[in-house]
Amino acid sequence: MPDPILTVDDLAVAYDGAVQALRGVSLRVDTGSVVAVLGSNGAGKTTLLRAISRSLGAVGGAVTAGTIRFQGEDLARRDASWVVRAGLVQAPEGRRIFRDLTVEDNLRAGGYTVRDAVARKEAADRVFDLFPILAERRHQRGGLLSGGQQQMLAMGRALMTSPTLLLLDEPSLGLAPQLVEQIGDIIAQIHAQGTSVLLIEQNAAMGLRVADRAYVLEVGAVAAEGSSAELAATDDIRDRYLGVSVAAPAADAPPAADAPAAPDAPAPPAPAPGAVHLQRSSAADARQLRVADLTVRFGGITALADVSFTVEAGSIHALIGPNGAGKSTCINVLGGAYRATSGTVHYGDQVLSTLPAHRIADLGIARTFQNISLSLDASVEDNLLVGRHRVMRAGTLSQALRLPRARREERAERDAVRRIAALLGIERLLDRSTHTLSYGDRKRVELGRALAAEPTLLLLDEPVAGMTHGESTVMADAIRAVQQELGLSVILVEHDMPFVMGLAERVTVLDFGRCIAEGTPREVQRDPEVLRAYLGTEAAA
Amino acid sequence: MSYLLTQLANGLSYGLVLGLIAVGFVIVFTATGVLNFAHGSVLLAGAYLVAVLQPTVGFWAAAAVGIAGAALLGVLINAVLVRNLAEANPGTAAILMLGVDILLLTELTRRIGNRVIPMGAPWGADRVEFAGVSLPTSRALAALVAVVLFAALWFLFARTRTGVAMRAAAADGDTASLMGIRLSRTGAAGWALAGALAAIAGIFLASFPAPGVAPTVALSAFAAIPAWVLGGFDSVVGAIVGGLVVGVATALAVGYEAELHVLGSGFGEVVPYLVMILVLLVRPSGLFGSKEAVRV
Repeated sequence: MPDPILTVDDLAVAYDGAVQALRGVSLRVDTGSVVAVLGSNGAGKTTLLRAISRSLGAVGGAVTAGTIRFQGEDLARRDASWVVRAGLVQAPEGRRIFRDLTVEDNLRAGGYTVRDAVARKEAADRVFDLFPILAERRHQRGGLLSGGQQQMLAMGRALMTSPTLLLLDEPSLGLAPQLVEQIGDIIAQIHAQGTSVLLIEQNAAMGLRVADRAYVLEVGAVAAEGSSAELAATDDIRDRYLGVSVAAPAADAPPAADAPAAPDAPAPPAPAPGAVHLQRSSAADARQLRVADLTVRFGGITALADVSFTVEAGSIHALIGPNGAGKSTCINVLGGAYRATSGTVHYGDQVLSTLPAHRIADLGIARTFQNISLSLDASVEDNLLVGRHRVMRAGTLSQALRLPRARREERAERDAVRRIAALLGIERLLDRSTHTLSYGDRKRVELGRALAAEPTLLLLDEPVAGMTHGESTVMADAIRAVQQELGLSVILVEHDMPFVMGLAERVTVLDFGRCIAEGTPREVQRDPEVLRAYLGTEAAA
Repeated sequence: MSYLLTQLANGLSYGLVLGLIAVGFVIVFTATGVLNFAHGSVLLAGAYLVAVLQPTVGFWAAAAVGIAGAALLGVLINAVLVRNLAEANPGTAAILMLGVDILLLTELTRRIGNRVIPMGAPWGADRVEFAGVSLPTSRALAALVAVVLFAALWFLFARTRTGVAMRAAAADGDTASLMGIRLSRTGAAGWALAGALAAIAGIFLASFPAPGVAPTVALSAFAAIPAWVLGGFDSVVGAIVGGLVVGVATALAVGYEAELHVLGSGFGEVVPYLVMILVLLVRPSGLFGSKEAVRV
């Protein structure tokens, strides 16, 4: 048996001294192997990586028990800087590149600990070999790269120290299927060059493809472990993480949460549609949304070119396409964050494209953000209450004086927020401070905040990015339930194809800012142009 | 015409020195997130050391001690007070710095008393004449030194490992520490750099043609605050340009005070703030400030 490069024994981690994030976690990474960690959101995967890279302090976490050994050395008294110097580097979740620094300076920051200029140069050459696009764009600011390129930059930056163990936190997050394949290949290539990899991946298919071994983390503890092949063959893993194959449209697939769960790993609670009643306080109806010849330019870059589509009142419409295709730009114009250069957007008989964002919100259009935008220090409940702003009637004065009317309203609002939380399965999180939540839970809070505004049109920018297959099924059920109950229209941007295909009634495909296809999920999936530009060869097979 | 050019040249020199101070504000702010209202007393401490030591050890040794002393004082403030506040509200740190400023200033005022400690004329008391412009040599030298220092700063931030690490840490400290960058080091480096630049500015502000070191020298740092803010808070280039704008505007207001007498005497003292208000009315995030225009 090869020597372990990393061993974690009986690790426990708590946040803010109270919230227990990991308990009794043990795992090992053998020298020269790739190990994947799977698990739902809030299972503690990122916490585990941060414990290993000694960066828990920055997020208010601390190791309360157990040991972590890297190449035999106990890390208890070592800091983040020592760990990097010893050859263990983490590429963080959400890429976190330095947006204002050039690609080259990002890489130089990554190579900070390498004192030898020649070694730095060689490392940079290796990174440019691995990611030729970075060499091409070396003088551009990191913030101008597309999502996939930013992920490559984040990985390249971590590789600048020529680490012996690389920690990757969700490298495929928010990437188009084709790019996910590419990132998987790159991980295999990094491994082939002699670097051991510990990988967190929500895309279990990709994770299990590149990994030798995998661990499944549930609610802060290891629920299963084994070789990738063994795990991939397990029914439970298939249901909850792998899901149905991309090629089969899963219009009425049974929700995976109904599948028998492992005894010590409770499945996320599936909301029973109909059990939760969200009442509208105003009787607004969804209207037809018409986007006509929409063009958006930033400086010299055309993000959207003559895009037209129509979303019928009360339907679910998906926007898909590669990273950088202009999907988020489109959502941003609809929500009022960006201005259209030309073209119009009509919502019913209102022209949206000239209204400021707060007036658009008044029309009953609510959104979620791709890069989550929540008040991190506020509780989940307060974040959701912010969403109620539009429907709350009591004035500032009566609230400040706590007049009976205001108190009554507040009670009613808290009840409304509780119902929304129950629907999304985040009721137990209401009192938690938002910064202690995992990425996927934050996504749910964002959706909750948007729903709290009682929208008639909901704009969702990657609602299930970073979620397991099981979780995204639950999310799809929740979205379908509110959509049917409230009769609202939904526009969603998402890379998770089973999710899109199971939920959307119509799909518009964008590529390089242009509309390349539109139709039902079934039609779009067979469109050769879409296969070429977006879904990639695996989906076609 | 030559009067105007002379005033402009004076203004440019003064503006570049203000720029040295304003850049210190920017560096401390980006490195540790602190609005360093103690910057003025750090500047005064440096200048005071130089003036007091000069008669015994000579100007150059005194200058070296003064610059190192101000840098060390900055590092100490950071190590003892600021680092403990890392989690606190940025407002707390700013008020704390005001307190530190008052304490340091009181102590330095007590030591200086009513005196004006002469800095003398380390670069001689003659003037350079150029194209009808007459400028004290020291002012010309101040401008030259400031330009050289700005070039050195550019080199530091653009070309060296430490500089790139400082920029990375300023952009996203949490991620930078995952690259092995020690935030305690980049923070200390920022404070040291700011202190040293302040002391150099202090030497120029207190030497010929100025009479010497008095507690009022610390106030010049206040004139650099509008330069910092109108430049855009987190931009080194902005701080330099802001310094130039404030310096030239002040020099012109002072030089033409007779013509501007309807505005009363001492108009030059409010000019920096007036300019700042005008700039911020037009560009709320300053001339070069990052506009918080994040991709949503």
